[in-house]
Amino acid sequence: MASIASTGPVLATERASRGIWRDALRRLLRNGPALVGLFFIALFLFLALLAPLLTPYDPVVGTLADRLQPPGSPGHLLGTDLQGRDELARIVYGARLSLVVCVGSVLMGLAMGGTIGAIAGAAGGRTDAVLMRTVDVLLAIPGILLAIGVVTWLGRGLPQIMLAVAATNAPIFARILRGSLLANREQDYVIAARSIGAPRLRVLFRHLLPNSLTSVMVAGTLALATAIIDVAGLGFLGLGPSDPRTAEWGTMLTDSTQYLRQGPFLIFFPGVAIVISAIGFNLLGDGLRESLDPRLKR
Amino acid sequence: MTLLAVDDLVVRFRTRDGTIHAVNGVSFELEEGERLGLVGESGCGKSVTNLAIMRLLPKPAGHLEGGRVVFEGVDLAKVSESDIRDIRGKDIAMIFQDPMTSLNPVLTIGEQMVETIQAHRKVSNSAARARAVELLSMVGIPKPEARLGDFPHQFSGGMRQRVMIAIALALEPKLLIADEPTTALDVTIQAQVLDLLRNLTTEHGTALILITHDLGVVAGMTQRINVMYAGFIVETAATADLFESPSHPYTVGLLHSIPRIDAPPGEELVPIEGRPPDMRHAPAGCPFAPRCAWRLDVCWSENPPLRAIDPTARVVSTGAASTHQVACHNPPTREEREAGRPLGDRYHPAPPPSGALDELSMARVGASAGEPDGAIGETADVWPESSSVSASPSAGGLPIDPTDR
Repeated sequence: MASIASTGPVLATERASRGIWRDALRRLLRNGPALVGLFFIALFLFLALLAPLLTPYDPVVGTLADRLQPPGSPGHLLGTDLQGRDELARIVYGARLSLVVCVGSVLMGLAMGGTIGAIAGAAGGRTDAVLMRTVDVLLAIPGILLAIGVVTWLGRGLPQIMLAVAATNAPIFARILRGSLLANREQDYVIAARSIGAPRLRVLFRHLLPNSLTSVMVAGTLALATAIIDVAGLGFLGLGPSDPRTAEWGTMLTDSTQYLRQGPFLIFFPGVAIVISAIGFNLLGDGLRESLDPRLKR
Repeated sequence: MTLLAVDDLVVRFRTRDGTIHAVNGVSFELEEGERLGLVGESGCGKSVTNLAIMRLLPKPAGHLEGGRVVFEGVDLAKVSESDIRDIRGKDIAMIFQDPMTSLNPVLTIGEQMVETIQAHRKVSNSAARARAVELLSMVGIPKPEARLGDFPHQFSGGMRQRVMIAIALALEPKLLIADEPTTALDVTIQAQVLDLLRNLTTEHGTALILITHDLGVVAGMTQRINVMYAGFIVETAATADLFESPSHPYTVGLLHSIPRIDAPPGEELVPIEGRPPDMRHAPAGCPFAPRCAWRLDVCWSENPPLRAIDPTARVVSTGAASTHQVACHNPPTREEREAGRPLGDRYHPAPPPSGALDELSMARVGASAGEPDGAIGETADVWPESSSVSASPSAGGLPIDPTDR
């Protein structure tokens, strides 16, 4: 009898070690599409991080004698381009650049948008109105147009590209965070925290922000996908890295259009790389949204 | 000693649809350790009154337009934001209606309890945790040490409300405001939580304001009851007094709309017709007049103040011996209280001054048209058609004989 009586509480404490993040992770790992996304991202990270180990070639320097080799040629698995540079090397080093630029731009966007959204949501009143109308103006401009504007204004180069992509994402993050803060502000637990005398900043940082961040996290993951496309888009439009030789997927696409007849595979591989990484982040973002949404708890 | 004195509290909400007259001059007092019930239907201003006391009205719509909230000699409406923050939790604590939403889902119970304790006392983490364990066991949570690391979603509703009570009582406040603390709970859990609240407040000498729409909940819990309607206190009395001789037509209506186990077999429940008034309009006359079967002509134009039923009595405003006061031009007689409606052909409810159809008249028109609706059919029984309006008692002369209590 005693053992039966004790099972209840024991089970309860076993379950107790699980936090909401672990619950979310468990749900994420049960989500098929999200796993596919994770696999794509893992592949992308693997290429980016291990680039020097995966290929002996320099992505920038080519051998003109070996130009336009088809895929499967000895020594060049994915062939070579017009300057005789190894395509595989350019793809994996391109992954490295994409990773840095995308993660950097999304983090910058989160910092900018998060700050604006947090100030607007916490302050309310006139501050909120001024900040949010500014955000509305930025949102009214198509993202890629805004990014082109920023790059033409600040000049070409990786930091400028990051800032340009961040500028397209920041208004979205600001709006999402502010909305979530406002929704949480009238929640009982926030009023309860205030009713026990918690200081304003403590309420903001400990109660409001952690509960509002999930939606921003999801938006951030999805933004990584658009960032990859935006960066490639800028490269495609000739606003890529300042050194035109840099291995960048978008720039590679533009270059390959000029000799599409001689080397059609040269437009295929960068395209596939962009699609796979963008889809990866998209699927993961959707999976995160589902697993973090308490309404979908199973 | 008076702990809290609310004097002529006025709260308005400025919304896009207009100004909501949420609280329209509420005054009451509370002794140390006294338990007061605040009863009324949804939207009558009972929760807003208490949020106003705590200065937690939703911004930017909510405004404290007037009145004073004197707590231990300090007007809470005037103190600085940091002073009120100091009072919240330490001197006045709150428990909310829905324990499912009143705990932060991303923090463990332990973190939330420690936070409360450390918000007001400079104590170490381990001391705060020890206090948290003590509090959890005080409210009857088994294995409190283990459960400190649990998240709110790992607790049942009743357990969460116990945790809320533990957090509210963590700093031994002088006043606890419980806003419908049992409404979201199972009936069996309700009784446990109410017992717990009663025992703990008695033990620590904590004053309690219990907000509820359920007269059954306040019956065994409080010494005194304020009945609120449309942002006014319409009746105040010691608990036993109120149940024995409800004197406002609204209170009579409330008591007659709950089934009683000791009622004679076959007795019908008498519903309160109509809906609460639209709070967007400043009340002219008695706010209950459109729904009141006892109304006179004067009820449409003049809002009666809260007056002692026995005009000769010395007014005592707190405690179990507090004076029975009611805001009514024409309180029901003893027989009518028992019947829950005006008896015989004493009079017709006075028609609204504009001649427009009001809630009651509409119900009666529906009844005469032969609508087979149960509630409307009952209405017709309640007020037998009779054209002879007997002399209505004058507004000043209260027809209640104080000796008949």
